[in-house]
Amino acid sequence: MILEHSPHPIALRDGSTLVVRPAKRGDEQALLAFYRELPREDRLFLKDDVTTEAWAERFMQRIERGEATSLLAEREGAVVAEATLYRARHGWSTHVGEVRVAVARPHRRKGIATALAGQLVKLATDQGADKIIVEVVENQLAALRTFQKLGFHQEAVLRAHVKDISGIRRDLLILANDVSHIWAAMEAMVADTPPEAV
Amino acid sequence: MAKTEIRIGGLGGQGVILCGMIIGKAAAIYDGKHAALIQAFGPEARGSACSAQVTVADQAIGYPYVKRPDILVLMSQDAYTQFVPTLKPGGLLLYEEELVHLDGRLPAGARTVGIPATRFAEELGRRLVLNIVMAGFLTGVTGLVSQDAIEQAVKDSVPKGTEDLNMRALRKGLEYGRGVAAKAA
Repeated sequence: MILEHSPHPIALRDGSTLVVRPAKRGDEQALLAFYRELPREDRLFLKDDVTTEAWAERFMQRIERGEATSLLAEREGAVVAEATLYRARHGWSTHVGEVRVAVARPHRRKGIATALAGQLVKLATDQGADKIIVEVVENQLAALRTFQKLGFHQEAVLRAHVKDISGIRRDLLILANDVSHIWAAMEAMVADTPPEAV
Repeated sequence: MAKTEIRIGGLGGQGVILCGMIIGKAAAIYDGKHAALIQAFGPEARGSACSAQVTVADQAIGYPYVKRPDILVLMSQDAYTQFVPTLKPGGLLLYEEELVHLDGRLPAGARTVGIPATRFAEELGRRLVLNIVMAGFLTGVTGLVSQDAIEQAVKDSVPKGTEDLNMRALRKGLEYGRGVAAKAA
């Protein structure tokens, strides 16, 4: 339903508002402009080189195949944040969603990441996911706090898994949010159990 | 007095009772009609035969049991075998077309409409919303309850956090049912 009500405004901590909408074909250049403006050290933590036309094309294809849902936060027509929910369509982890969020530096600490990630958690639940994960580097404290507030907890640590711009190796934390309890309640409702057995 | 008798049949774990409850709730609470629900369970909780009898009427219902349904909603072959002989002549059979195969036991003049509800539910994200797809399908084909009423009844009946997926499941069944009904008209 989040996508049905788009574009929609979100109110930020500083009293301003942004417009959020799903990314679609035709947004490639706006996305590239946003990612090319991000400092290199911020882009290091992303799995792909998000500054290339080839990446933008692959990303759009994943959206069109239903493997990714991307939300863009815009101010005055420019993308200032992007958040993506990835869902595997095959294999043993189709019940898991993965979230990634990037916010332009001038727009951080205003609650944009919290708002976008919160919407993607809701969307993943709506799509039937049991579990949502996100990868955060150990020193990304604001991101850690954001996801912890949304119900994520640390599930795994990959020691010295990433190398930052100074060459320092850092731990990669895998945070998880288990939303299966929501579906467990639905499963109980469709169990067709006699009242005396409940 | 307009009175419609429905039997919903399937297996434990398919949400047969919830499907019946939602239809009854839509009629009685949101459409201002009268409704009665009788539930029947097999000996095991999951996987055994299970059925719901729903009566919807303009006036108070004196006898809530459904012996000869006007509408059968079936989600398993066992339910088909058991209940299809009870369908009124000229009655309507709504069935999950990947789980139920029709044969010569159909009463004379029966109308049949199938839906790949399990596939729709899986495509939406969760097989367990199959029963909600079926509730939407019944609404779309028959118009027995209003769209507003069935939507309110679903919102009211499903756990918090699952409303959106259930609503999409309902609308999927409803639109499919309306499409089939329009083609048949």
